Amino acid sequence: MTEQEIEAIARAAGLDKALKEFHDDVSAAAKQAEDLRRALVKPLGPADEPWPPMRIPDPK
Amino acid sequence: MTELHWLSASEIADRFAKRSLSPVELAEALLARIAKLDPQINAFIRLDPEQVRADATAAEREITAGQRRGPLHGIPVGIKDIIDVRGVATTCHSKILVDNVARADAAVVAKLREAGAIVLGKLSTHEFAFGGPSFDLPFPPARNPWNRDHHPGGSSSGSGAGLAAGFFPLALGTDTAGSIRNPASCCGIVGLKPTYGRVSRRGAFPLAFTLDHVGPMTRSVADAALLLDAIAGHDPGDPGSRAFPPGPSGASLKDGVRGLRVGFVRHFHETDMPADPEVGAAVEAVAALLAKEGAAVSTVVLPNLKELAAINRILLHGEAWSIHARWLRERPGDYAQSTRRRLLTGAFLGAGDYVDAQRRRLQAIAAVESAFQKVDVLLTASSMDPPCRIDDAEAVARTYPRQARTPFNVTGHPALAMMCGLSAGGLPLSVQFAGRFGDEATVLRVAAAYERAAGWSDRHPAL
Repeated sequence: MTEQEIEAIARAAGLDKALKEFHDDVSAAAKQAEDLRRALVKPLGPADEPWPPMRIPDPK
Repeated sequence: MTELHWLSASEIADRFAKRSLSPVELAEALLARIAKLDPQINAFIRLDPEQVRADATAAEREITAGQRRGPLHGIPVGIKDIIDVRGVATTCHSKILVDNVARADAAVVAKLREAGAIVLGKLSTHEFAFGGPSFDLPFPPARNPWNRDHHPGGSSSGSGAGLAAGFFPLALGTDTAGSIRNPASCCGIVGLKPTYGRVSRRGAFPLAFTLDHVGPMTRSVADAALLLDAIAGHDPGDPGSRAFPPGPSGASLKDGVRGLRVGFVRHFHETDMPADPEVGAAVEAVAALLAKEGAAVSTVVLPNLKELAAINRILLHGEAWSIHARWLRERPGDYAQSTRRRLLTGAFLGAGDYVDAQRRRLQAIAAVESAFQKVDVLLTASSMDPPCRIDDAEAVARTYPRQARTPFNVTGHPALAMMCGLSAGGLPLSVQFAGRFGDEATVLRVAAAYERAAGWSDRHPAL
């Protein structure tokens, strides 16, 4: 992600103040998000469902 | 004879019943120890000795009159400062909520009061249960009683440090990515993340709704069972709460492990995230000891630990961003730097990333459930390294991903971390046991068998 892209996303998220006062923190957060996205490598099938978010079976 | 500050809750209850110890006597002993040692440990954010004395006197009166409410009556409990205690500020260790006085007790605190327990005080945490140990906050970070230059783990750092220092026998922690089990591991105590939904989170400040758990932190496995039974139960006020059959969770603590099947997840610490050699050897020694005690130990393979950790972090960052976005936009300078950096990450993850992580989460749950078709309990490393120095920011940051606790926040299975040795530097090493949904009893049974056989729970830091 380029610095320009980071700034565009941060402004779209309303983070103008953070961008102005804590630019390094915003850049570090963007890098962290990129790293996390890259860490998910196992393929998903189109029918793999996301819900419910927690699938705890009914207690016996 | 055991000094009062090292007594377990079970031993205290026994002495109260025999009238060889009174709640006031115990409270005074603990308050004196806290006054003497907490300035070096920083476990407490808030302590009201006069309220503690008043509550102890009331408990003593009731017990003396034969109105004993149960095993926790008159026993002090420390409360992590993201959990509400009525009339007291829930600061979340943050400037942002420094005046956030709670109007009601959290569900777990209400249950503790019903059981007669004494709320001892509010305990240090990482800011909003998410930042690291920070020196730019209104309160100092807790320190590790085994070596005060070292990190006590977090985010329930005051809970772990206070137990290890002998300030209280019981504490509450919360766990979204290992925050009960990390300080349990670093401080050499017992930390249990219950099954998702078993303990109400109502009145605990959220970090990530689908990952958050409240649970017991103690110095013994029996006390973890005791505290779990006191705080568990269905609560319609918590959307994630489920009605599990009630305890006692500690019914089989003395049954040993003979006949139990223990699945050892070696790849977590051998190849996915290679552990410090001392940690690897200590966890292998746990497996060997359980086998010697009669368990059938076999190797189990789960999804890659790094993949499971990434699922946890994407869900956590996405949900935490939803909670903190307004403050991050308006008051970014009021967070500690480490918290701000972590919380901002959620702004750079999209809806698709979050949904993908949820889809992968269900795959992870299925994989762990499949493993439990073949074994009764999973054995894994907890922290991949011994505790690091608290003033080494890079080392501290490295400890958070280098652990095997997040998989069970992703899946919701119960998981317990406890001490399994001491490093060459004299700092605790740790192991983790995880069980089937709702089967804390078997996790506690295995942990109790290990505790008896290994004997680490008798070791305390020299303070």
